Amino acid sequence: MEVWWRSPKWEQIRVFFLILLLHGVAILIFTRGFLLTRTELPFYSHCSDLSQSPCFSSSSSSSSSSSPNSSRCWTKPVIDRVVIIVLDALRFDFVAPSTFFEVSKPWMDKLRVIQKLASERGSSARIFKAIADPPTTSLQRLKGLTTGGLPTFIDVGNSFGAPAIVEDNFIHQLVQNGKRVVMMGDDTWTQLFPNHFKKSYPYPSFNVKDLHTVDNGCIDHLLPTLYQDDWDVLIAHFLGVDHAGHIFGVDSGPMIEKLEQYNLVLEKVIEVLESQSGPGGLHENTFLLVMGDHGQTLHGDHGGGSPEEVETSIFAMNFKKSPFSIPPEFDPSSGGHNLDGKKMYISSIQQLDFAVTLSSLLGVPFPFGSIGCVNADLYALGSGTLNSEGTNLEKCQHQSELEQWKQNYVNVLCINSWQVKRYIDVYSASSLIGFSHEDLLQIADVYAQAEKSWSNTTKKLFLDQNECSDSLLPALKMQIDLYVNFLTSVAELARSKWTEFNLKMMGTGFSIMFVSLLIHLLSIKWVAKQYGASFTCGDSGILLGLIVACFVVVIRASSFLSNSYILEEGKVANFLLATTGIFKLRYAILRKKMLLEAVVFLLLITFCRFTIEIGLSKQAVTSQFLNAYPSWMMSMVSQFPAWMYIAEVVPMLVLILLSYLLYKTISNSCFVGIWKYVIMGTILSYMLIAVHWASESGTWSLALVSYGIGRNCIPRMIYGIGLGQLSLLAFSQLFNKDKGLDHSKSLVVKTVGMLSALSSVVILLSGKQGPLVALASIIGGCCIMRLGNMVNEAKDSMSDPLAIDPLPVTQWNLLAACMFFCTGHWCAFDGLRYGAAFIGFDEFILIRQAIFLTIDTFGFSHILPIFALPFLVARQNMLSQKQFILMRLSQVYLMYGLITATTVTVTMLCVTIHRRHLMVWGLFAPKFVFDIVGLILTDVFICLASLFYFGRVEKEVLQNPSTEK
Amino acid sequence: MKANATTSSVKSSAEPKPEPEPEAEISPSSPSISALEALSVHLISGLGLGLALLLANNVYSVNLVSHPSLTLLLISVIECPIVILLYSRHRKNREECSYLKAVGRGLLGLPVGALVISLGAIALGAPVGTRYFLTTINWSLLMSLFTIVPAVSVFGSSWKDWQRIFAHTNCRPIGSLDFMICLPAHGAIIGAWLGAWPMPLDWERPWQEWPICVSYGAMAGYLVALVVSFSLILVWARFEHVKRD
Repeated sequence: MEVWWRSPKWEQIRVFFLILLLHGVAILIFTRGFLLTRTELPFYSHCSDLSQSPCFSSSSSSSSSSSPNSSRCWTKPVIDRVVIIVLDALRFDFVAPSTFFEVSKPWMDKLRVIQKLASERGSSARIFKAIADPPTTSLQRLKGLTTGGLPTFIDVGNSFGAPAIVEDNFIHQLVQNGKRVVMMGDDTWTQLFPNHFKKSYPYPSFNVKDLHTVDNGCIDHLLPTLYQDDWDVLIAHFLGVDHAGHIFGVDSGPMIEKLEQYNLVLEKVIEVLESQSGPGGLHENTFLLVMGDHGQTLHGDHGGGSPEEVETSIFAMNFKKSPFSIPPEFDPSSGGHNLDGKKMYISSIQQLDFAVTLSSLLGVPFPFGSIGCVNADLYALGSGTLNSEGTNLEKCQHQSELEQWKQNYVNVLCINSWQVKRYIDVYSASSLIGFSHEDLLQIADVYAQAEKSWSNTTKKLFLDQNECSDSLLPALKMQIDLYVNFLTSVAELARSKWTEFNLKMMGTGFSIMFVSLLIHLLSIKWVAKQYGASFTCGDSGILLGLIVACFVVVIRASSFLSNSYILEEGKVANFLLATTGIFKLRYAILRKKMLLEAVVFLLLITFCRFTIEIGLSKQAVTSQFLNAYPSWMMSMVSQFPAWMYIAEVVPMLVLILLSYLLYKTISNSCFVGIWKYVIMGTILSYMLIAVHWASESGTWSLALVSYGIGRNCIPRMIYGIGLGQLSLLAFSQLFNKDKGLDHSKSLVVKTVGMLSALSSVVILLSGKQGPLVALASIIGGCCIMRLGNMVNEAKDSMSDPLAIDPLPVTQWNLLAACMFFCTGHWCAFDGLRYGAAFIGFDEFILIRQAIFLTIDTFGFSHILPIFALPFLVARQNMLSQKQFILMRLSQVYLMYGLITATTVTVTMLCVTIHRRHLMVWGLFAPKFVFDIVGLILTDVFICLASLFYFGRVEKEVLQNPSTEK
Repeated sequence: MKANATTSSVKSSAEPKPEPEPEAEISPSSPSISALEALSVHLISGLGLGLALLLANNVYSVNLVSHPSLTLLLISVIECPIVILLYSRHRKNREECSYLKAVGRGLLGLPVGALVISLGAIALGAPVGTRYFLTTINWSLLMSLFTIVPAVSVFGSSWKDWQRIFAHTNCRPIGSLDFMICLPAHGAIIGAWLGAWPMPLDWERPWQEWPICVSYGAMAGYLVALVVSFSLILVWARFEHVKRD
């Protein structure tokens, strides 16, 4: 008995498994370096949590813990109201005076009111340079600003498709703690926080060409709202600067107009706030923040991590008059002079710190997943007035304001560090890909050190209640340094984990992928050599086919290097398919054979092209990159109500046609026994699908099928039949009965059986377009097969019968790609048809629904084409010998895999090159994800298909090789 | 409906000769033209195109980017008589086919070729709709003039010649006339194919609209192929000369 890995069958197919393994490893390594993932935790911070921390629950010392203010939560609230004005894509140099830069540019110094306030009232108004983290796209930044975390491309969480934030965040904490939030402007906020706002005035943000709708809407609502008292936090998000940048660039007239307009708006806002800021006024204790969410390059792009994109600005102003000025040793800010030559300071803040700083100012719990650190400067600006309420000022005359402020700040940092440590611990415990053990140990070490020091300082603080000592200040300073050290090391670790690509891993993954391509090529040659055939031969038809095939594959692969071609990938695939079709037509004219097939094939491509355009127009609705297509077909559909009726009937008719075709095939003599039953099952499934659709659409009043039962029952029956058919096929594979058929015929029988078993579920999940697409695939496949045979027939006489034409395989691959787009899919997550996951089942079970979604997405483009590939071989020479058929089959599968792998390799190269591109998260990364999933599925299905198709035939070859010759 | 038309047109052109040999044979009446004549044909058709562009730009002050449809029509109108009259002079089977007949079939071939070409373009993804209707027609008329009309004028409906000119993989022209028809036609088609590639790019330039860059590509390909074909004719003539000696 031979060992299993030396058996001839295994020898045939082991190469497929080797390639699957190589691809798997390459993709895993590459993805670890490229697709940064983070798990969203479903935990929320609560006021009561603080009792677990070692810190004081109130801002001042423990003696005042019996404060009458019971609403006090984690920190003592120091401001009552906040006005947040977000100016999208606000570059740092829009805000800072031009004297801070080497060269003065026309777009600088336009927001004069900010500069004036910052230099005149250094104690209550200040400009910050805010450093954002990539990806610098609005959605990710808003998420980062409100959660205090580092959103990555894939935040694994339970928000399936919807962008709403489910993690704990600043807005959620505000609402939980009774603050009323009003929002106006960019509608991204309402997508992220669907039910958080007390009032909202959202305006559509996706029309980049519209500079004014959002801004004017904001302005209309902003000033009246400032006079009202029914809110605590106001958010106004202006988009004009971002849009002006995208269209005209930074150095342009519209940009300067926009900035000047904002200057006027800000002047008015500050005037209103000023006028109400007296004692007892509406804005007695209001904090104004004017901030950008990210910067932009001079061309108006953003998304990447270049300094221009990540450097934005925050202007903060406290309207409470305060005599207290910020202690100078806290000031890491860069000094400079304003336009009038006065001294002014600009501080620096990480955007990461925004959520936690604002939470501490408003006295709400810090978001659970925040890893920011309360920024000293911003906190000081807000809390500068705190000491006037201090209870122990009288107790100790010597205690300076500064000291007390520091005590307060230390306590806030203590809470802050405790909260971050808690998050890191919970995250490492619950996430699949957590932090490395050494990193965690190091973090824990730093925290322990800070904690130890804290207990010492706390004791000192207790002692200091009665007698004031001079040693307090240095101790406080040391404590602050320890906490800041801890918090920055956590942030650094998180950044390295969540925002930095690991180029080494990406390089390794790519190299493995490249090696796998070489192995692929070699194994194609090896298979041919094993049977004593040369891969290329002198025949002009094959040689030319090879050249055209390589050309088409290379062109298609290199088109992925540009974002435009990725957006219109369907059209590109169709263009190339049509090119090969025209090439085939030319060949058909030369041979004067199969002209009809060639023309039908071209007509089919034309049909595909229109359906692809319908899909593109659907994509344009949601895509931020694609311009809306003027689709005449859509308008036609809406114009004629009869069209709707036709759309109901045609799929059914096609289904009946498909069943008829299957019926005709089984009446063919070679379908006996098990195969006959499999195909009968498929015909039954088709009928059930027709009944299901008829019962779903109201136009058909079917008394037989009651709605409630039919809706879920029939699909489940179809799934059951499909599973039954597959197990029947597997069963027949295991217990092979002898059949007196010739081998290419038996291959055809197997293929038809397999395809029919798979098709019913795929058609059901694809919806009404399913039968049409199936018919189109059959026609297309037929044409490719027959046109491919033409080359072989032509050359039988003159050359090697073993040589295989790669052009049909390439066409097959292109047709499969076209089918992906024809079925209304595209490479983006909003292109997934989530509805398909719930056909037959109402409740959500992740694995089951994921399988359905995969079948729907890749059914027509991966599953069916791969299992149908033997058609390309089987009909070629009806009387050829068995091992030749097998050799061809494995060559065809290898070629198909090679073509898919080539395109994926180029996609990997493309995302590596464009990793800092504006569209990397919007376009390249989804394309990459779809491609790698497609590649792995292709490999897996090729392995399964090889197990299925190779299994038996090979054994027979071994048993009686002599009879074959 | 249009699709059927192509099918039938291809078929009908296939029918007259029921059993042609796949391999091209040297037909006895294949006319050979002198280098000077070839030069004149190439020069005139190339200059005609240049003249048409100049005329459109300077006299009518339209260009491809601003008025693609009108400009294409203008070029076609100027190029049409030049091509038909020029190539009809070199018609095959002179004894059977008069000059007028050749011109006539050239005129007939123009719309038929345009139809075939526009269908091909639509299969490749040319936009469809009332907005593009006229432009597509004018563009395919021009393409027809570059590719089909010369062949129709010279060969008529001789299937064997058509096969040799358009379908032979290793284009084995057997006379300078074949070079003259085969190469520019292929040049125009390949040029147009390449010219379609910049269309999806997001540069937002006006010339990325259909069919401006495709027309530029076709014209460039045509002109390049004219040069190539003329130089090949010269080389081939010398080669023949040497062989005859």
